[in-house]
Amino acid sequence: MPSAATENKANVPKKGIFNNTTGFSTLITVTVLSLAWLAGFASRLFAVIRFESIIHEFDPWFNYRSTAYMVQHGFYNFLNWFDERAWYPLGRIVGGTVYPGLMITSGTIHWILHTLNIPIHIRDICVFLAPVFSGLTAIATYLLTSELWSRGAGLFAACFIAIIPGYSSRSVAGSYDNEGIAIFALQFTYYLWLKSIKSGSIFWSICTALSYFYMVSAWGGYVFIINLIPLHVFVLLIMGRFSQRLFVSYSVFYIVGLLLSMQIPFVGFQPIRTSEHMAASGVFALLMAIGALKYLHSLNPKGQWKQLLILGGLVAAVTVFLAVVLLTYMGIIAPWSGRFYSLWDTGYAKIHIPIIASVSEHQPTTWSSFFFDLHVLVCTFPVGLWYCIKNVNDERVFVALYALSAVYFAGVMVRLMLTLTPVVCVLAGIAFSILLDLVLREDETPAPTQESDDKNLYDKAGKLKKRTPEPVGETGLGMNVRSGTLIAFMILLMLFSVHCTWATSNAYSSPSIVLASYGNDGSRKILDDFREAYGWLSQNTAEDARVMSWWDYGYQIAGMGNRTTLVDNNTWNNSHIALVGKAMASNETAAYNIMTMLDVDYVLVIFGGAIGYSGDDINKFIWMVRIAEGEHPKDIHEADYFTERGEYRIDSEASKTMLNSLMYKLSYYRYDSGGSPPGFDRTRGALPGLRGFKLTYLEEAYTTEHWLVRIYRVKKPDEFNRPRLPLAKRTIQTSNVMSKKLAVDIGHMTSKRRKGALKNKPILVKGKKVTKLD
Amino acid sequence: MLPAMAKIQFFAFILLYVASNCISVNVDNISSDVRIKNVDRSIDISSQLVKISSKITFENAGKVPVKQFLLAVEGAAKNNLAFIGARDSNNKDLRLVETTVKGHDNVKFYRVELKEPVNAAASVVITSDAVFSKALLPHPTAITQQEDQLVKYNSNLYFYTPYKVLTQKTTVVLNTKSVESFTKVKPFSQQDGNINYGPYSNIEPFTEKELSLHYKNNSPFLTVTRLERLIEVSHWGNIAIEEIIEIEHSGAKLKGPFSRYDYQQDHHSGPASVRSYKTLLPASASDVYYRDTNGNISTSNMKVKKDSVELDLRPRYPLFGGWRSHYTLGYNVPSYEYLYHSGNEYLLKMRAVDHVFDDMQIDELVTKIILPEGSTNIKINFPFAVTRLPDSLHYTYLDTKGRPVITFKKSNVVENHIQDFQLRYTFPRILMLQEPLLVVGFLYALFLCVIVYVRLDFSIHKPEHLKE
Repeated sequence: MPSAATENKANVPKKGIFNNTTGFSTLITVTVLSLAWLAGFASRLFAVIRFESIIHEFDPWFNYRSTAYMVQHGFYNFLNWFDERAWYPLGRIVGGTVYPGLMITSGTIHWILHTLNIPIHIRDICVFLAPVFSGLTAIATYLLTSELWSRGAGLFAACFIAIIPGYSSRSVAGSYDNEGIAIFALQFTYYLWLKSIKSGSIFWSICTALSYFYMVSAWGGYVFIINLIPLHVFVLLIMGRFSQRLFVSYSVFYIVGLLLSMQIPFVGFQPIRTSEHMAASGVFALLMAIGALKYLHSLNPKGQWKQLLILGGLVAAVTVFLAVVLLTYMGIIAPWSGRFYSLWDTGYAKIHIPIIASVSEHQPTTWSSFFFDLHVLVCTFPVGLWYCIKNVNDERVFVALYALSAVYFAGVMVRLMLTLTPVVCVLAGIAFSILLDLVLREDETPAPTQESDDKNLYDKAGKLKKRTPEPVGETGLGMNVRSGTLIAFMILLMLFSVHCTWATSNAYSSPSIVLASYGNDGSRKILDDFREAYGWLSQNTAEDARVMSWWDYGYQIAGMGNRTTLVDNNTWNNSHIALVGKAMASNETAAYNIMTMLDVDYVLVIFGGAIGYSGDDINKFIWMVRIAEGEHPKDIHEADYFTERGEYRIDSEASKTMLNSLMYKLSYYRYDSGGSPPGFDRTRGALPGLRGFKLTYLEEAYTTEHWLVRIYRVKKPDEFNRPRLPLAKRTIQTSNVMSKKLAVDIGHMTSKRRKGALKNKPILVKGKKVTKLD
Repeated sequence: MLPAMAKIQFFAFILLYVASNCISVNVDNISSDVRIKNVDRSIDISSQLVKISSKITFENAGKVPVKQFLLAVEGAAKNNLAFIGARDSNNKDLRLVETTVKGHDNVKFYRVELKEPVNAAASVVITSDAVFSKALLPHPTAITQQEDQLVKYNSNLYFYTPYKVLTQKTTVVLNTKSVESFTKVKPFSQQDGNINYGPYSNIEPFTEKELSLHYKNNSPFLTVTRLERLIEVSHWGNIAIEEIIEIEHSGAKLKGPFSRYDYQQDHHSGPASVRSYKTLLPASASDVYYRDTNGNISTSNMKVKKDSVELDLRPRYPLFGGWRSHYTLGYNVPSYEYLYHSGNEYLLKMRAVDHVFDDMQIDELVTKIILPEGSTNIKINFPFAVTRLPDSLHYTYLDTKGRPVITFKKSNVVENHIQDFQLRYTFPRILMLQEPLLVVGFLYALFLCVIVYVRLDFSIHKPEHLKE
């Protein structure tokens, strides 16, 4: 980061000397951008260096698995892929329920490399995709910011976004998720949109639509674009900034983007059938109406058209709005989906969709995490915003809207901090650039950046008068004030970069499937229990074995264990998840009925009590109960799992229902090691209330070294209550089976069989049995 | 061009192989002149393998010098035979050729070719080593976690031979005192985990009498079900070796649950399970990696010793009966230790299979040798009979026409097969420059394109602000 600042420092005076050559500034730009790329790439490699090149967490495992499938079977087979290994017995149509952009991107890279005979494993491509794309994001941010303000600001913004924790949290090496490439697509689409609105050229509009298409294929967050751009257009219309450029760029972008976005199977007809997309078409209709009115106005500029224009515009707006509302009521357009609705009402998910509320990254953001993810930029970006609003033009309206909406969304959900981060970087870059301009510029030089702005930014002559050349720069600051401010800001930037590295390294670079613990002497111990368990599953269970676990681990079981799961992280079927939750929350007998109904062979639970791992199933258990209660209110009651005083505990004071639940039993079955009193649960800091119990319907199949993952085998009906006897020994049973069948059979068959049964009953067999039992 | 040549070579090789086989399939006769004066046999069944080492004193009772003897393996055991060899009294290996004898179709015969003929009335001492895999059968076939593993061994009480044996003794090494049952044919004695039989005298040729032992054997019963060994030769000083190993605990199956509690509380729990094993790599091995499809297996240790690199490999989970595991082990060795050349002629001398663990048994071994691009005239000598698979091509960094790959297969491999193969090929050394030149050429073309693009104006229409 400091490198960027110094480069920029050099940039301004040098420009004066080499005024005619763009070569020098291009060199600096390229250098800074490649350094930003490098720094961004390097700071995301902590996980690879500390652990290994491995896919992280949960969702990336699914993405990796489907990418590997695509690479192996080809693109069309991937689109038609019906995954019978997930959501047993329902299965999942993967091709139609994913955003394939991520897989296509890494698949294409893999294909290119292999055509050039570079044999890189697809896993390594997946691992390093997000860090590589962070560099592209930096470049896209640079382009966006230079469109908005100046190239200097662009360089700042590029350097900021390269290392900022708010973005690196989602793009460290191994975090192979949609967001990794989607932020690039987002920034690039916005850049192209500004470009097209500035030039009014169809070329740039088409580019915007193509980039938007890429974004649609990559991430569900494309809805943000398709609402923000219409909002921009709408606000411009209200501000009376209608122009042919706006008309051309939006109508081209909307139509082409709409058609392209509908090519993604998962999106399908949503862009014309759901409320989320209606703003775009509404604004399109409005723009058309106003365009028509303007045209009429141009036919006779002298008439009383002004009032008509405003009135006509208002009428059009109201008509469009009413049409949308009407269509929604008629059921042609789907209303807001629950997930979307929860953005407006933060309490909505908690009441109606517990499955969304159960995910920690869907919680509202705390203030500290704003600072943690953005550091000093969270304080400086309002400055940039203020300048943008002060020197407003078409594209700065856009960035203001972008900033305001992103701030709102980031406040609603921790996860959406990701959409705020780019705009914060852009605006903070502008703020820092203004500051440096102010501090570093010699008094006598007549604003050289402004000149280059005019040259580079393709601004049309009509707009020039609106931009006031910074009046503050000329106030003449004292030397001491200048250097003082400069040093203070350099220190801030330095602290920023230190914080970014620290946050990325400590908070966001854990693969979470490999845990590391540190001993008293600083030695590192790796806890590899997850892979131990998944490795065991993949090698030592039947190929078609079905594993029941909470949905968090579905993708990992499928990806690493290669076994069929009942539920996974693609939480599309709430009732199926509730059924699994119900099995976990019921007592053993009731759970066994559910498990036989679902053909479960193995049950997998995560138990952190032995090592003090807090993200285990007992701590998540209350969500299982809540989700199960949502679907089965008669059988499961959340209150039963709390003590009378409303506490959630597992020790001897815990409620009976809790102690008898399957989850409790599977977690603590024969757990007697752990802390100082044997059987002490380190995570909850308590001694389990029920110990030494036996399991009737399940048996321990495998438990990992640190007890983190416990796998149980569901017994077949003939295995409990009585010991299984080989067929040869089953003398009495055979006749029992016979008589059962006989009861159903018809008369004459009965007599026949009875004869045979008598024949086959010599006393000799009994004698054999006795000897063998000895 | 190259594949065609390789094909021709391959066919030529097959023809040669078949021809040599035809010669060896010569029918031998059992010479009545030969008698066996004494056999001192030791049967080691303390590990998962059966290792029989017999010290045989042959006597020429006839009048003409004898140059060869026959070794026989009975029909019941011949499918388990993994290795057989013979040494003379100076510990020099003797040539062994598989052969048949009329009237004994069910018996496997090997002809031992002596270096010097045995004169009449003289005798010669030969040691024969035979290794049998999968001859120890767990009984019972399934045990619980806490139980010891019991195995059964059935064999021949007498040394199986086409000649008359005057006296013979057998020692069975069990390394355990807990023997459930064993064949008792006098004279016999049991001491210190050994059972001694004999001496028995005047046993007729092809006599079979059941020897049956049922005893405790908790040594690791690990079978490598498939081992794929990849040797990639680079002329830049490096040979990369990668082994893809599928392993299975082939002892008594685990019955009932696995309890981590018992396993952790008591270190004697799971006596038949395998927690870890040692793999020995060449002393010069470096950059060792040990991983599976889910990434690095973090439970391993490496010790660099004087004459080898010792890897203490722990599978992700302890292996109980019937449990399987698979992993990839790779390392680099410097090529000067294995690759010799004079001019354009190269000789690669490497192990066809390497150590996986002590007393290993490998069901199927596939070795692939990837030679540098442009190698021709490939000739290979195997230390033992293998099935050679069709050659193929392999493409990797900066390859244009692909590297030749030599593949061969062998089943039922044990430690005695750790022997060198010799591979000769021709490689014009000038081809070493091909890859650097390729990179240079590519960069040159790239820069040229950029220069041309920057210097020339390709636009159809000049933007307005540049027109003035």
